[in-house]
Amino acid sequence: MRYRDKPELLDRLAAEYALGTLRGAARARFARWLQDDASLARRTEEWSARLAPLAGSVRPVRPPARVWRAIEARVGAAAPAGGLWNSLSFWRGLGLIASGAAAAMIVAIVTVGPGAPQPAPPPVVLRVPSNVMPASYLAVLTDPKTRKPMLVVSAMRTSDELHVMTLDPSIHVPNKALELWAVMPAGQRPKSLGMVGKGHSTMLPLHAAADHSLSDVPMLAVSLEPMGGSPTGEPTGPVMYSGPCVKVW
Amino acid sequence: MAGAGDPLAALLAACGRRDRQAFTRLYRSSSAKLFGVALRILRREDLAEEVLQDCYVSIWNHAQDYHPGLSAPMTWMTSIVRNRCLDRLRKPRLEVSDSEGEMIDQAISDDPGPLAELERSKDAEALARCLQALEARQRQAIALAFYDGLSHSELASHLRQPLGTVKTWVRRGLLRLKACLGGAA
Repeated sequence: MRYRDKPELLDRLAAEYALGTLRGAARARFARWLQDDASLARRTEEWSARLAPLAGSVRPVRPPARVWRAIEARVGAAAPAGGLWNSLSFWRGLGLIASGAAAAMIVAIVTVGPGAPQPAPPPVVLRVPSNVMPASYLAVLTDPKTRKPMLVVSAMRTSDELHVMTLDPSIHVPNKALELWAVMPAGQRPKSLGMVGKGHSTMLPLHAAADHSLSDVPMLAVSLEPMGGSPTGEPTGPVMYSGPCVKVW
Repeated sequence: MAGAGDPLAALLAACGRRDRQAFTRLYRSSSAKLFGVALRILRREDLAEEVLQDCYVSIWNHAQDYHPGLSAPMTWMTSIVRNRCLDRLRKPRLEVSDSEGEMIDQAISDDPGPLAELERSKDAEALARCLQALEARQRQAIALAFYDGLSHSELASHLRQPLGTVKTWVRRGLLRLKACLGGAA
């Protein structure tokens, strides 16, 4: 890249990045350079260190307790691999926020699937209206390649409707449909839960209240199917997204 | 050199090993400072809380990337917070319906100013001395950019100067600072 031949310009950009006056697209571009240019990163770090003592004189302000509660809940959700779903701190974390919920509940959502490599990506936080999910079944379906969460599926325990939220509209493929499946324990065939709608949010009817229809379902998955859904009643196309189905209450 | 011997460095290392107690202690010893930094730049408590939350989650997730040899723990964490604040500022400043410059002026002028504080801080003696050696307008532009997160164009409107002039003050001020600090950083 041309910029590498201009040490003075580089130093100025590093300084302005550290100071904060490098903005917008230029800042974003510079941040990308930092990722793969160790010497530029060091130069920028030097500038940060030069200016850092300035921050030392800012008047400290104790943040409200809710900030720490929210942080605890979110990092609790990123607990060590292996025992995540059994991890007390994970559930305690969710409980903490749920108990403080008023109009909205913050759900710390984990993007680690079983056996996913470490380190886990940072958790995604969604605000789910409390009328959509108090004690609920919850699944976050991720793209196995990028491990990015793509859909959030939830149902209240006693409800016979499943709420499907699409996080990324680009999941839809022209002339194909996405079908949602309950992946059953070993030895059982997957059960169709319905088609994922094109909008941000779809309600799908369950054949019985979630406490009956989902209590034994360890995982949900979405497969690519012909328009109108799988002609055979079982997934015929590739599984695009999947994630564990957990109980949250 | 930078972070060795700093108790926060030990806490960050422990966070890298997923030590939750260390994370609690790290938060207790650093959050007020970082919240102050975020509040000063964002000037809105709700946004500052949001940013602080995101930053500590990020600090926990990336604690193993912290190298005490490269930067002091507070420098590392402050950079994370300031970067996140500046990203947040990229979105249009909310609820600024009339004159943006006016609102910024008000927000800035009702604070005693951390520069005065800086002169009393031992750690920052060298920087304070070098800042004093700058021309007043260079010093003011750099302080407004660092503490208040003002962009070049906001600086220009706040200081009622042409954009190019303000850019020059910042650039020359930074160069003189570097020369004065003698690459000691």
